[in-house]
Amino acid sequence: MRRKHDFICINCPLSCTVELFEENGEVQEVRGNECAVGEKYAVTEYLDPRRRVTTTVRVRGGVLPVVPVATSAPVPKRLVREVVRALAGVELQAPVEMGQVVMPDILGTGVDVVTTRPLPAKRD
Amino acid sequence: MSFKARNCQLLPTRAEIVVVGAGVIGCAIARELTRYTPDVLVLDKENDVACGASKANNAEIHSGIGEDPGTLKQKLNVRGNRMYDEFVRGLGVEFKRQGLLIVITPRSAPPELLERMNEEDRRRFFTEVIPRGIVNFGKKAGITGLRILSREEVFEREPNVTREALAGVFDPNYGMVCPYKLTIALVEHAVLNGAKVFLNTEVNGFRVEGGRVRAVITNRGEVETSLVINAAGVFADEVADMAGAGGFRIHPRKGATLLFDRDVTSEYVRSSVAEFRLPGMKKTKSKGGGAMPTVEGNLQLGPTAVEVEDKYDTSISAEEIEEIFERFHYLLPDFPRDAVISAFSGIRAPTYEEDFVIEASDKVFGFVNVAGIQSPGLASAPAIVEMVMGIIKDLGWELEERKDFIPERPAPIKFSELSNEERHRLIMEDPRWGHVVCRCETVTEMEVVNAIHSIIPATDMDGVKRRTRTGMGRCQGSFCGHRVAAILARELGIPVTEVTKSGEGSPIYVGRTKDLLLQNDLRGERLVDEG
Amino acid sequence: MTKILRPDAVVIGAGPAGLGAALAAREAGLEEIFLLERDFELGGILPQCIHDGFGSIVFDQVLTGPEYAQRFIDKVERSGIEVFLDTMVLELRSDRSLVAVNSRDGVLRMEPGAVVLAMGCRERTRHQVLIPGYRPAGVICAGAAQRYINIEGLMPGRRVVILGSGDIGLIMARRFTLEGAEVEGVYEIMDHPGGLTRNLVQCLHDFDIPLHLSHTVTFIHGRKRVEAVTVAKVNENRKPIPGTERLVECDTLVLSVGLIPENELSKKAGVVLHPATGGPVVDELMETSVEGIFACGNVVCVFDLVDYVTFTAEVAGRGAAEFVQGRRRWRGEVPVRPGRNVRFVVPQRLRCLDREVELYFRVQRPERSVRVRVLVDGRVVHSRKARMVRPPEMVRASIPAGALNEGVREVVVEVTPDEKEA
Ligand SMILES: Cc1cc2nc3c(=O)[nH]c(=O)nc-3n(C[C@H](O)[C@H](O)[C@H](O)COP(=O)(O)OP(=O)(O)OC[C@H]3O[C@@H](n4cnc5c(N)ncnc54)[C@H](O)[C@@H]3O)c2cc1C
Ligand SMILES: Cc1cc2nc3c(=O)[nH]c(=O)nc-3n(C[C@H](O)[C@H](O)[C@H](O)COP(=O)(O)OP(=O)(O)OC[C@H]3O[C@@H](n4cnc5c(N)ncnc54)[C@H](O)[C@@H]3O)c2cc1C
Ligand code: SF4
Repeated sequence: MRRKHDFICINCPLSCTVELFEENGEVQEVRGNECAVGEKYAVTEYLDPRRRVTTTVRVRGGVLPVVPVATSAPVPKRLVREVVRALAGVELQAPVEMGQVVMPDILGTGVDVVTTRPLPAKRD
Repeated sequence: MSFKARNCQLLPTRAEIVVVGAGVIGCAIARELTRYTPDVLVLDKENDVACGASKANNAEIHSGIGEDPGTLKQKLNVRGNRMYDEFVRGLGVEFKRQGLLIVITPRSAPPELLERMNEEDRRRFFTEVIPRGIVNFGKKAGITGLRILSREEVFEREPNVTREALAGVFDPNYGMVCPYKLTIALVEHAVLNGAKVFLNTEVNGFRVEGGRVRAVITNRGEVETSLVINAAGVFADEVADMAGAGGFRIHPRKGATLLFDRDVTSEYVRSSVAEFRLPGMKKTKSKGGGAMPTVEGNLQLGPTAVEVEDKYDTSISAEEIEEIFERFHYLLPDFPRDAVISAFSGIRAPTYEEDFVIEASDKVFGFVNVAGIQSPGLASAPAIVEMVMGIIKDLGWELEERKDFIPERPAPIKFSELSNEERHRLIMEDPRWGHVVCRCETVTEMEVVNAIHSIIPATDMDGVKRRTRTGMGRCQGSFCGHRVAAILARELGIPVTEVTKSGEGSPIYVGRTKDLLLQNDLRGERLVDEG
Repeated sequence: MTKILRPDAVVIGAGPAGLGAALAAREAGLEEIFLLERDFELGGILPQCIHDGFGSIVFDQVLTGPEYAQRFIDKVERSGIEVFLDTMVLELRSDRSLVAVNSRDGVLRMEPGAVVLAMGCRERTRHQVLIPGYRPAGVICAGAAQRYINIEGLMPGRRVVILGSGDIGLIMARRFTLEGAEVEGVYEIMDHPGGLTRNLVQCLHDFDIPLHLSHTVTFIHGRKRVEAVTVAKVNENRKPIPGTERLVECDTLVLSVGLIPENELSKKAGVVLHPATGGPVVDELMETSVEGIFACGNVVCVFDLVDYVTFTAEVAGRGAAEFVQGRRRWRGEVPVRPGRNVRFVVPQRLRCLDREVELYFRVQRPERSVRVRVLVDGRVVHSRKARMVRPPEMVRASIPAGALNEGVREVVVEVTPDEKEA
């Protein structure tokens, strides 16, 4: 069965609504895009959409109670929430380095979760 | 004393005099009573003083020019205004007499009346008859110093007033205070002189025996007493009924006010400004309102007057906002609409007679009602206190002045008002003076700490705000909110997630981040997107 | 009191603008530079912007806010720039003298050779948009919510309604959702979204969060904590349509209703502000109307891209150095005027007339297939095709070196339909 999927291209302010037609998972036609960038975008969004995930994890003894973290590369979109949930129970000990690996190969994606800033320990 | 300990303090079993309600009226009466006896107990159901009308009003000390002749309101207002300088002496609160400009415009008289006049008559009516009438009205009420102003003199005084103005009258008696700071100062002064204040203490009833009041019943126990002052504001009728000392009804009437950024408006009006309407033209019974500066220099426009059912209805409707804009668009054609930083509304406490009810109950001996204190209650406060003291004397209480009365209440230090030399000296003494937590109003950590440990301690964000002005500036707490919350948590010894905006049920935060995820985890919910 | 300090330059605010300006001034040869920041760390608003999307122009790389800031912070720490943290500037005068305060030094008085304003912007609050109702806990600005969640580690709510579809609101819709809160919807009074398409897709669509255009919040319920809001559809005049009201239960209302440049200090110093930008009127060195006081970043106008903030910072930092070193020369005074479909242009005037100038502007309305043109006395000196321009997105143009001289009367920036395509 032939099915249509709409994507809004995010690559320029024009924001074309790109229609992608597919049959049994095979892309057959892409239209509505004003340029080639849009086609590539829609196909990727259909076949393998990925997002870089950013969130925070808890830190013990730091100047702040949380430190921001991110996946070092985009992960499949459907795993975004699960990545964040998998990190919810993590607690680091200050000081935290920039780029420190918080969780390697998260959910078997081959992608590491790393800190995106340093966080010094609290002095008292 | 820790937050918890303070809350668990036991209510005294006896007090010579109990004041119900810690608004400006109850606190002013309590302060006066302590000149004679330290055994005064003030009770309020809220978690801070000045949580009723006394925190949400227009802060004007009227002269009495707006009140109907022959009313108790007018009499006490005129007298109260005269007593104000003495009333606030030693309290460390600001009181200014900015005056009131009454503006006479073509709208000041009804069209039916004007139709019958020729042009010259009309001119004279607006520039002579009305102004003289106002001055004479004042004279009869005992209000002195009123001055008639020509059109030009009106603009000289207040350049932003509508060019339609025809004449004016200036009343130099009008003043302003910060009403909640005044209330706090009054009650702190009372406490310095021995009074006790119990907050979170709701009066539910009274024990009356043989026609005399014997005790006050509260959610925290009973207090024996033989004299009760009912200053419960909008609830005064219900409180009186609990003792069988009622007979009047209070119908709540809401008033909304818009508040403007003081950086934009501190020069916008110098005095209070109101448009004159011939008697009978006003739509509502409450005072007409106007444009007035606060002691801090913010312009206020309002208030509205809307009868409501719920005594807690401090909401503001779209219609009210619209109404204020429309009303003042005429009087001050180019007022800075964009500079609104806040809007608030308060509940007036009128009786159906629309006058103050200040009397000893004739049904229950030892029960004094101070009710129906709508506007100009703040302005009349000193005279209300005087009258209540007279009533108490008449009831047979012997009032002998104490020798050990402390005449002054030290005011908290405001960093923003200090010279740089003084600021520097303080910071060298305690570094917390150098940590500015509220950028708009330049409030330091030390001021917040002081507010939390003051005689009547601030226990929530609004309490700190009323005492220090944190969050009152144009960013309305976006910058300082979490900073103040953290200080509150530290000083009160509670987790920051227990800090509230205005007491129970108003938490600032619902928990820590990750808490919700970990809870969901326990419930085994699936968070993976299918698709 | 402490003695008066006389550094070459003082930079007020250490967000990307302040960091960039201080570094540029340093590179241009200024010796003693003070960087004054009221927060406890460097970076300005960026440490709380933990999402990615920063630096695609400056670094040709997509970074998170903290990562972007860290690149500058690392440089500043090695540069010999003197950093004052937890230090609030309280007063600034037109002679550039200023008063700052912190816990360690007390009251600091400074008379620097030049001042760079980099105080950023603040958020519009509820009352600036006047939402009727109560004033309970749980009504917060999106930026404040971002700070609570990402810096303080605290959740401001569980069930959230967002008013305004600006980028920060959209980003917070995703952030709340990822933290396990429920975002009921985003309501936008205009008939088009306020934020970037990228954020619409990745923050709303990805999480099935509905966006209600031409809607607003008409009442906030709850005396102590938000209990619900009433939402309604609005007509063309943005007035609620009676009968379309709907009650939405929630414990939090997040406002993303715009940013305003933070210019309290600028006003005290007598710096002239522009009515359309809300920030100082500047020239091609980012010098304000007060000699020796420069400005950059969001204090000048709200830039949507941090990269542009960095560019203006470099210009201001170099400008401050030129001024202190006595090299800054004015050759004339040429106004830069907004032409067709242009709301404002920064800088608003040109005085040195000796260099290439980058112009930043916003359009009045969305338009497809256009040409962005810069005219010097009617002569086109820059013309570039654009598929689309939209008000939320800042547009860049430039005046080439050599196009300006003392005789020039005006520069006009305009957006015109692209004839070749039409
Ligand atoms: C919009 C508005 C504008 C106004 N403007 C002005 C003005 O410009 N000038 C002026 O002079 N006046 C003005 N007023 C009037 C003025 O605010 C009041 O007259 C004054 O504040 C009344 O003080 P109060 O102490 O009687 O009442 P409140 O301040 O209301 O105090 C009553 C207290 O009693 C407590 N209480 C009630 N029931 C109980 C109970 N059962 N147990 C324990 N405690 C209880 C309440 O919690 C409350 O704290 C204005 C009023 C409003 C609403
Ligand atoms: C909430 C929010 C979210 C954003 N999200 C994005 C995004 O996703 N992508 C993007 O490209 N851009 C985003 N931006 C825009 C971008 O981050 C800003 O353009 C950029 O951070 C502005 O830099 P700035 O240095 O001008 O201001 P800021 O980063 O705001 O820095 C100003 C600094 O000045 C300090 N300061 C102010 N007054 C004083 C004083 N009197 N004394 C001492 N210090 C003072 C402040 O504390 C602050 O640190 C966002 C902006 C905001 C406000
Ligand atoms: S398809 Fe091309 S023109 Fe359309 S939005 Fe994407 S990049 Fe822009």
